[in-house]
Amino acid sequence: MPKLTIDNQSVEVPDGTNVLEAAKRLGIVIPHFCYHEALGAVGACRLCAMKFEDGPVKGIQMACMVTAQEGMVVSTLDAATVEFRAHVIEWLMMNHPHDCPVCDEGGECQLQDMTVAGGHTLRRYRGLKRTYPNQQLGPFIEHEMNRCIQCYRCARTYQDYCGGEDFGVLGTNQRVYFGRFRDGRLESPFSGNLVDVCPTGVFTDKAFRFKSRYWDLEEAPSVCPHCGLGCATIPGGRYRELQRVRAGSNRQTNGFFICDRGRFGYGHAAHAARPRVPLVDGQEVDWTQALAAARARLDKIIAAHGPRSVALLGSSRAGLEANAQLRSLARLLGTDRVVFAAHAPRDWTARTLAAGLGAQASSLDDVRRSDCLLLIGADPLAEAPLLALAVRQAVRGGARAAIIDPRPVALPCATAHLPLAPWRLGQALAALGDNDWSRFEGQEAVFLEGVHEALAGARHPIVIGGADLLGPAGMRQLLELARRLSREDRPCGAMGVLSGPNSYGAALLAGDGPDFEELSNAMITGEVRALICLESDPLTQAADPAHAGLALARLDLLVALDSLPTKTLGHAQIILPTTVTAEGAGCFVNNEGRMQTFMRVLAPGLPLRETGGGGHPPRLFMADTPGAAPRPAWEILAGLQGRAASLAELRDALAREDVRFAGLTALAAESEGQRVADAGLALPATRVEDYVPRDGELALLVCEALFGSEETAFYSAPLDPVRPEPRLILHERDAGRLGVTPGEQVRLHSAVEEVVLPVEIRADSAPGVAILPRVRGSLVEAFVPGVGPQPCRINREVDHA
Amino acid sequence: MSQILPQEQIDAWKERVTGHAHPMELVVDVLRAIQAHHGWVPDAGVELAAEILGTTPLRVEEIATFYDKIYRRPVGRRVIHVCDSICCWSRGAEEVVGFLRERLGIGFGETSADGCFTLLPSCCLGACGEAPAMMIGLTTHGNLTPARILAILAAESGEAAP
Ligand code: SF4
Ligand code: SF4
Ligand code: FES
Ligand code: FES
Repeated sequence: MPKLTIDNQSVEVPDGTNVLEAAKRLGIVIPHFCYHEALGAVGACRLCAMKFEDGPVKGIQMACMVTAQEGMVVSTLDAATVEFRAHVIEWLMMNHPHDCPVCDEGGECQLQDMTVAGGHTLRRYRGLKRTYPNQQLGPFIEHEMNRCIQCYRCARTYQDYCGGEDFGVLGTNQRVYFGRFRDGRLESPFSGNLVDVCPTGVFTDKAFRFKSRYWDLEEAPSVCPHCGLGCATIPGGRYRELQRVRAGSNRQTNGFFICDRGRFGYGHAAHAARPRVPLVDGQEVDWTQALAAARARLDKIIAAHGPRSVALLGSSRAGLEANAQLRSLARLLGTDRVVFAAHAPRDWTARTLAAGLGAQASSLDDVRRSDCLLLIGADPLAEAPLLALAVRQAVRGGARAAIIDPRPVALPCATAHLPLAPWRLGQALAALGDNDWSRFEGQEAVFLEGVHEALAGARHPIVIGGADLLGPAGMRQLLELARRLSREDRPCGAMGVLSGPNSYGAALLAGDGPDFEELSNAMITGEVRALICLESDPLTQAADPAHAGLALARLDLLVALDSLPTKTLGHAQIILPTTVTAEGAGCFVNNEGRMQTFMRVLAPGLPLRETGGGGHPPRLFMADTPGAAPRPAWEILAGLQGRAASLAELRDALAREDVRFAGLTALAAESEGQRVADAGLALPATRVEDYVPRDGELALLVCEALFGSEETAFYSAPLDPVRPEPRLILHERDAGRLGVTPGEQVRLHSAVEEVVLPVEIRADSAPGVAILPRVRGSLVEAFVPGVGPQPCRINREVDHA
Repeated sequence: MSQILPQEQIDAWKERVTGHAHPMELVVDVLRAIQAHHGWVPDAGVELAAEILGTTPLRVEEIATFYDKIYRRPVGRRVIHVCDSICCWSRGAEEVVGFLRERLGIGFGETSADGCFTLLPSCCLGACGEAPAMMIGLTTHGNLTPARILAILAAESGEAAP
C-alpha cells in the first residue's frame, strides 16, 4: 500500500494502482480519454499529464502509465503541466469537425467536457482537416469517423475485451481509421458498447438517433430484464418513451459492459399492442372497477368451489415484491395453489439451485478472476451473454475453460469443447465427481480426466451449469461436484445459468410448493376454476404450451396482469396492465442469489411518437396522460388485497417475515446488490428421466438463442433486424446418414409439431442430437427449450411429396 | 483468385500455416507474396490472405494498411519511396522531391503516365548517413543529386519496361 502526495494531499492506495486512479480517490479528476478501468492504461491520448516532483519518477509523465509508489510527490496544478494538457487537447481537437449541434453525443461527450476542462476554447488551426468516409455498421451503430480522437478505446473494447474480430484499427498516422474491412453489421453481440466507450460521437446509438439530448432524458439506475445475470443498466426515457439503454456499472456483475440484447431490448415498453388500460370482459374500466370486478369474481368462485379453486401463477419476469405480493394474496384468499414459474422443469431446476448453492455462489466477477472454468450444458452467448465476456476475461488472464455441451457452443475466446449428448451430461458430472471414467471411451475419457485435473489443481475453479440442459437432477449434481472439488484451503465455486431476471427470487418464494404442471392438471380436472396470472405467458413459457392451452381454456376466470401483449391475454376476462421494469421500481434476484434493486426511470404513457403518429401530438386538452394507466404489479396485487401499499412498506414487511430477504430494506440502487441470506430450503426431490434415443434415432433438443428467444426482448422493435431465421442444426454424421446438404429443407416430425426448415451442418455438435434454437413468432414458435431431449424424426423435404 | 496468387503458392502457404503456432506472424510475408505476384494487394488479396491465415479480412487489413510498403491501390511498376524525415530534409530532400515531381510529371500518390513510377513519401529509411535518400524496390539510394537521380531513373525504367 504505497502512500503518495498529490497536490499536497496524501493518499494511500492498493499496490498496482496508477497515479490517475490515486488522484481520483482524492477527488482530483484530470482529463483523460484512453484510460478505462476495464481496458487498462495505454498512454495513447497524452492527456493525463501530471508533474512528478519528487520520488522515483521525475518530470511531466502520463499519470495513467505510472504505478503509484511510496514517496511520490505529484502536482496536477503545476503551470507547465496545465499548459501541456491544454496543448494536447488543442491538437486532439485539430481535425474535429465542430459539429456538436448535429451530434448525438453532445451533452454527454467526454471530448466536450475535456476540451473545456483542458482550457481549449478558441480554435487557432486554420489548415485543412482530414476527413473520412463513414461505414454502414448495421442496425445498431452509427459511424462518424471525423469526430475521432484516436484514443483506441473502441478497438480495445471490441477486440481485446469482447473478442470481436471484424472491427479494428486501420491505417496509420493522420489516417488512422476505426472500422470494418467493409460496410456491414458489426458481428459482435457486444457491439453496442462502442457507443458507451467512445468518448466522442464516432459511434452513436442508431436506434436512438436524433431522438433526445442527454439532458432531456429521464434516467435512473436499473437492472437488465433480459436474462438471469442482472447486469446494471441505465435506461433513458423521454416523451413517455423508453428511448435507449446504456450500461451501468456493477463490479460484481457486468462490470462496465452489457450485451446487445440488453441494450436494444427496451422496445417492449412501446409495443403498439401493449395492454394499456384495465379491461373487464373486453370493456375499458377504471382501476377501482377493475379491482372490484376481479375481487368479486374471485370471491364468487371461492364461495361456490372453495378457496383451492383459485390458483396463482407468478413469474421470473416479475420483481420480488410483486411475486411476494402474489404469495400474500394467495394466503389471503386461502389457497396454497401458488406457483412462481410457468415452466415446471425450469422451476425445479431454479429451486434446486436456490436450495443448494449456498456459499459456493460465484459472481461474474469471480468468473473473470477464475483460473479454471468448466461450463456444462451452458451456452453463454445464448443464455446469459455477459457470462461469455466474463469467461473471455478469465481466459485472457490465463485461465483454462472447458465446455461440455451438445451444442456447438462458441465463445469469443479459446476453449476446449467436448460435444456430449444431453442425456450424458449427468454421467459426465458424476464421472468428474467420482474420478471414474469407466463409462466414457477414448477421447471423451481423456478430455474429462484433463478437466478434472485442471479443476483439482486450480486456485479459483468454478463450475458453471445451464438450467435448461442440466435440469433439476443435473443441477444437483453440479452443486455436488463443486462441493467435492472444494478443499478446506480452496473452495470451488458454482454458478447456475437461469433464464429469467428473477428466476432465483421466484424459486426462493416457491420453496416446496406445487409446480405449474400440477396446477394445469388441476385446471383440466376442474378443481381449479380461476387463475391469477402475474406477468406470465404459459402459452409460450410453459414446458408444454399445448397442455397449458387446454388448461387455460377450462378456466371460468383468468385474471392476467401484464405489460406485454402475450398470447395468454387472449384468454383473460380481466386484464390488468402493469408497468415494465423501467417504469416501476423493484428488486430482481439474479442467478447467484444477488438482490438488486431497480428504480423508476419514467412514468408509463403512450409515447408522444405514437399519439402524434409522427407529426405534432393532438392539440387536445386532457387532464390525464394517454396510456398512463399501467401500474406496478405489486401495487395492483396489494390493491386486490384491499390495501394501498408503498414499495418501502412491502419491502419492510417482506424483509421482516422472510429472513432470506432481510437485506432488502437497506438495499440501495446502483450498489453492488446483496446476496440473499441462506435459503434454508431442502433440495427438492428430482424426478425427470431423460429420453435416450436408441441407435440410429435422433433426439430433438430445443434451446435458447442470443436473439429471438428471450421473452421480453422479443417484443422490442430495435431487435427486429437481427431476429434469426429458424434452422435445425445437425451433426455432419447424421446429415450424411440422412443425405441432407447444408441449407437444405428438412421436415421435422415431433410430438410438438411437424415443421419444414433448413438445416445447418456442424462438425462440432454432438452426434445423434438435432438442435433447434428457439425463435419466437416464427414457424418453430411452439417449440420450448428446457424440456430435455425429445424423440423426433427428420426427412429430406424433397422426399416428402 | 488465380491472378492474385497462383494456386501452388496458395497451397504452399496453407501448408506453412498448418501447424504454425501463430499464423499471424506470417501475415506480412503472405501479403508480400501477393504483392510480388499481382503488383499490389487488392481487396480480394486481403480476403485471400485472411483465408490462408485463418483469420478475418479485418485483421489482415489492419496490418496491410499499417505498412506503407504494402500497396492497397494500383501502383506503377516501380515505387519510389522518398524520405521526408529530418536528416534528409536538412540535406535537401525537398529539392529531391521537387526534382522527381518535375521529371516524372507526378505528385505524391500518383503514377507516371507510362505506368512506370509511383511516387510516395516515406519516413526515415535508416539511411540518414547518406541523406538525402530514397528507396525503390528493396534498394536504397543515398547521397542523391539530380545527376544520380537521373541515372537511377534511367536504370530503373529500363528494368521496369513492360
Ligand atoms: S472512434 Fe472513439 S473510441 Fe475509437 S479511437 Fe476514435 S474517439 Fe476513441
Ligand atoms: S447479459 Fe443478460 S442481463 Fe446482461 S445485458 Fe445481456 S441480457 Fe441483460
Ligand atoms: S489517459 Fe493517460 S495517456 Fe490517455
Ligand atoms: S532521415 Fe532520411 S533516411 Fe533517415
